Amino acid sequence: MPALLVMDELVAGALPMKLYAASGEWSMRLMTLALLPGPLAEFFGRTPLLRLWLKIRRNLGVTAFLYAALHLLIYVLDMGQLHAIFDELTLPAIWTGWLALFALLIPAAISFDAAMRALQWRWQLLQYLVYPACLLALIHCLLLGWNAASTLVYIIPISAAWALRALARSGIHLRRVRS
Amino acid sequence: MIRRHAFVRLLTAAALALVVAPAYADGDIQCGSGPQQDWQPMKALQKKAWLERWEVVEMKIEGDCYEVYARTESGQSIEAFFHPDTLEKLVVFRRGQEIYRAEGFEG
Repeated sequence: MPALLVMDELVAGALPMKLYAASGEWSMRLMTLALLPGPLAEFFGRTPLLRLWLKIRRNLGVTAFLYAALHLLIYVLDMGQLHAIFDELTLPAIWTGWLALFALLIPAAISFDAAMRALQWRWQLLQYLVYPACLLALIHCLLLGWNAASTLVYIIPISAAWALRALARSGIHLRRVRS
Repeated sequence: MIRRHAFVRLLTAAALALVVAPAYADGDIQCGSGPQQDWQPMKALQKKAWLERWEVVEMKIEGDCYEVYARTESGQSIEAFFHPDTLEKLVVFRRGQEIYRAEGFEG
């Protein structure tokens, strides 16, 4: 839905420059939401909510990639000329964005069951590329002048989920309390 | 069960925070200008940009500065801050990197 709004504004002739933040942020939000249920389920057990969340995790992740691709499309439309895009490639704020997109492209491209079966244990390893993608995307935002505080929205939940995962792995669980 | 309710509430709050958190662009440049009625009109700024041979994408007021998004002759995407009283070019960014700063300007 937010993608449709962004596209609609784009078609309506909005400045592509204005749509960077919206598309990029949605990608970050969805990436964060996709990264949370795994570690949380290790700590809280498979509660109904987490089971549902895990079920839609793949959709969240793939949609995060689609938003990143939309973000790139907006960038290309904004820049207009290929030489201008190449000219910027060496700027840290720009190449971190490209690298984040490629890091996200790989897990997104293998997000279907057959790839999962074919790649076996390597599949899980490749899915972990979402973490460097997320980190690079955050650096990309910060270099483009984002307030550091606004990145905490992504950093805090992910770190908290990992802290809980660490607790769970050291033997401390919060199992469902049955009434 | 109480714990689970608290957990769900926490998740809802976190999800809400994810959605409403705004992205702050670099709006922390301070030009040190006076009251707005003393500012020069934006039209004059347009001329300044034209003299720089920029293709203006957008002009706006940012804090106590005039801000211009533009493309240079060589196609670089830039963001420039001007003093609204004097229309002096104070600082120019290219993709978050400072590429120009007026001598003595520290805002």
